[in-house]
Amino acid sequence: MRTFLILTVDGVTNGFIYAIVALALVMIWRATRVINYAQGAMGMFTTYIALYAISHGVTYWLAFVIALGAGFLLGAGIERVLVRPVESRPPLNIVILTLGLLILLEALAPMLFGGQVKSFPAPFSRIDLSIGTTQLYISPFDIFVVGAVLLTMVVLVLFFQRTTIGLRMRAAAFGPEISRLLGVRVGRMLTLGWGLAALLGALAGLLIAPAIFLYPNNMDEILVFGFTGAILGGLDSPVGAVVGAILVGLVLSYVGGYAGSDLETIGGLVILIAVLMIRPQGLFAAQRQRQA
Amino acid sequence: MLEISDLTVAYGGVVAVDAVSLSVAEGSITTVLGANGAGKTTLVRAISGLVRARRGSVRVAGTELMGRAPEAIARLGVAHVPEGHGIISEITVDENLRLGGLWRRGRADQRLAIDEAYELFPPLLARRHLHAASLSGGERQMLSIGRALAARPRVLLLDEPSLGLHAAVLAQIMTRLRALSRERSLAVLLIEQNARSALSIADDAVVLSQGAVVARNQAAQLAGDDALRHAYLGF
Amino acid sequence: MRALRAPRATALRHAAVLLPLAAVLVVVTYVFGAFTDYNIAGIAIYAIAAAGLTVLTGINGQLSLGHGALMAVGAYTTSLLLKEQPSLPFLLTLLAAIVVTGAAGGIIGIAAARLRGPYLAGATLALAVGLPQLAIHFGSVLGGNQGLNVAAPQPPAALGGDFPPERWLAWIAIAAALISLFLLANLVRGAAGRTLRAVHDNETAARLAGIDVARVQVLAFVVSAVCAGLAGSLFAYWVGITAPTGFGLQLSLQLLSAIVIGGLGSLTGAVVGAFVLVYLPVWTSGLASNLSLSSDVTNNLPLAVYGAVLVVTMLLFPRGIQGTAAAALSAGRRRLLNRRVNQRTSEVTT
Repeated sequence: MRTFLILTVDGVTNGFIYAIVALALVMIWRATRVINYAQGAMGMFTTYIALYAISHGVTYWLAFVIALGAGFLLGAGIERVLVRPVESRPPLNIVILTLGLLILLEALAPMLFGGQVKSFPAPFSRIDLSIGTTQLYISPFDIFVVGAVLLTMVVLVLFFQRTTIGLRMRAAAFGPEISRLLGVRVGRMLTLGWGLAALLGALAGLLIAPAIFLYPNNMDEILVFGFTGAILGGLDSPVGAVVGAILVGLVLSYVGGYAGSDLETIGGLVILIAVLMIRPQGLFAAQRQRQA
Repeated sequence: MLEISDLTVAYGGVVAVDAVSLSVAEGSITTVLGANGAGKTTLVRAISGLVRARRGSVRVAGTELMGRAPEAIARLGVAHVPEGHGIISEITVDENLRLGGLWRRGRADQRLAIDEAYELFPPLLARRHLHAASLSGGERQMLSIGRALAARPRVLLLDEPSLGLHAAVLAQIMTRLRALSRERSLAVLLIEQNARSALSIADDAVVLSQGAVVARNQAAQLAGDDALRHAYLGF
Repeated sequence: MRALRAPRATALRHAAVLLPLAAVLVVVTYVFGAFTDYNIAGIAIYAIAAAGLTVLTGINGQLSLGHGALMAVGAYTTSLLLKEQPSLPFLLTLLAAIVVTGAAGGIIGIAAARLRGPYLAGATLALAVGLPQLAIHFGSVLGGNQGLNVAAPQPPAALGGDFPPERWLAWIAIAAALISLFLLANLVRGAAGRTLRAVHDNETAARLAGIDVARVQVLAFVVSAVCAGLAGSLFAYWVGITAPTGFGLQLSLQLLSAIVIGGLGSLTGAVVGAFVLVYLPVWTSGLASNLSLSSDVTNNLPLAVYGAVLVVTMLLFPRGIQGTAAAALSAGRRRLLNRRVNQRTSEVTT
């Protein structure tokens, strides 16, 4: 029972981090029909920037904000300069472009910041809490992670559903041509979307680094798990992305705990294939299939 | 208000719009008629900027539109209701209407424009918070037109609004359109295959065949020209 | 529109290109040293895998981010067989790898038959990351993190006692690559190739025309898996050690990027891509060590350059090297033809 609780808490906390990556991927997919394979690597790069700031005397929270801002700028810049020219080309080209970015960022980081594995600070204790003599299997940092992700999701929902610019972004994603006819600057909305998605990726990088340390490839698996979660939920559904990612987190945790840590990813793969064989478009796939 | 002169659109070797010139005055409706593939839709898309023209000029109240991006043209007061109405199904009716007037100054003005759209098309009011996907064909057309009007355009481009509409609903919309055009000094360019209903509300008519203008006249005259009607309009 | 040629003529045409190429390569392996032989073997190996991936992704349109894992299956099959039976004939180890990997490809193809686009990409991505970890889980048999050692194949006595093993491996790899390319080229030019393309271009239309789309998808996977298995098997001999780190995500990404840089959908492009894949890092590391930069920079410069090349190529040469070259050639040919026509016309009118 005790193992089950620990694994569940681990699975959910990790699942929430995968959920941010999944949301970022879904956001970009809905707007531009592109999977940004470099999303994880971008989050890794901004975490390196944060660590650099911290090592030069900046407080954790200021470095946190800097990383998020850097992420936004990086995402917006990449969309404007690299993705926009390639948008109308065959889709495989954009895949290779983002893969190239992934490889480039993972090589650039050690060149700029050094290649050894580094530890990254957590703003709160990572020791499990206990009330009196009862162990709670959850640490202050875990609570922070879950809280931060929930807060982010709430902010995102409010942003997209209640603000004018959120409406413009949704319109630009669902009906780009119509939106242009209505005076919406679709290009700008796409840039904004990529910036926001990269900000989410930066957040994921900051939240996962204390546990898995900081090294150039550390976000590879996080990307895979986030992507798996997004696909599981159905790429067009943000709710699906979150549910799918938490599901992935749980499956990985249980498989890793009960069967062995090297079987984790295979376990995730099996669940993914199982779901996709029944529902090839994911769990929360829209009834109406949108034109790609 | 809308002056088109020598507009030519070509894809590769195919000329879709061949040196078309026409003008639409404030408060009047000009209908562009012709068979399928005559170039009517391409003409409208060239005006609203979705398609690049090879030659020619399009002016709204003297301002040149050629070469501008569609969103810039929209902000100059040109509203294009595309073929198949083009509502965004994933957002609500109200949000669709809001989108129409978003770039205008002032919340109050925007709200006013939206309320006017509801007055104009009451069925939309009942469904305002539903996703646009749940609307019927006629309601979608209403939404599309209402949304275009929410921007308080000076020029309204309508591409085949009759598609998929019951005759009764169509008649209703057309009558309202005519009244609106007068009230608001709107210049309306109406693309239609359903020549009969278009000619009944238009002031002027232009007939396209294979991209070029083959006839132009006042609507009433054209409606009375049997030979022309048989040749190009199918009735 | 290429005219539909008779199969025999096509095969002869392909042989006419590949045989002289083989001769040239043999000469090259004599002229340059062991390092070049090593790189040529590498190019041949990657070319086999890339050619298979071209059939799957380039022609049949199924995006696979997991072919590194299939190469791992081939490599581990061969390595495991050699571990149990070190005296097993070389060709048999290759054959076993081909069969096992082909079967794995079939299973994956069936599981993935209904998946399209990013859904397929995601599933194969999970495969790429997860499959090599099986080697760690079954560490006692599959060698865990340290991997399994593989002895390089020894050149036959007939070639003389001092025949360098690198050259022998290069010859083997070249032969395997040329045979594979020959077979694939005939496949691609023939009816099978047309079917693969038809399904890619318009699935609904293909189905209406009576094509069993699922079967075609699975067969495409099998063909590409067979190539990956062969390449993986040779890869094991080439590297000398089969360990999970050699078959990570990076290998899958390298294969995919090679076929796009080379020219998507073209077997020639696959070979060009394999060349870039091997020689770009070689040139870049050479450059880095000449400039004597810090170890962090030297170690990562080849990858950084590779990533940058991918990005720049997609921006400037969307059709890849082969595609751009082919387009330039046909444009040049057209211009020449126009000039000749204009010349004749002006001759007539004057």
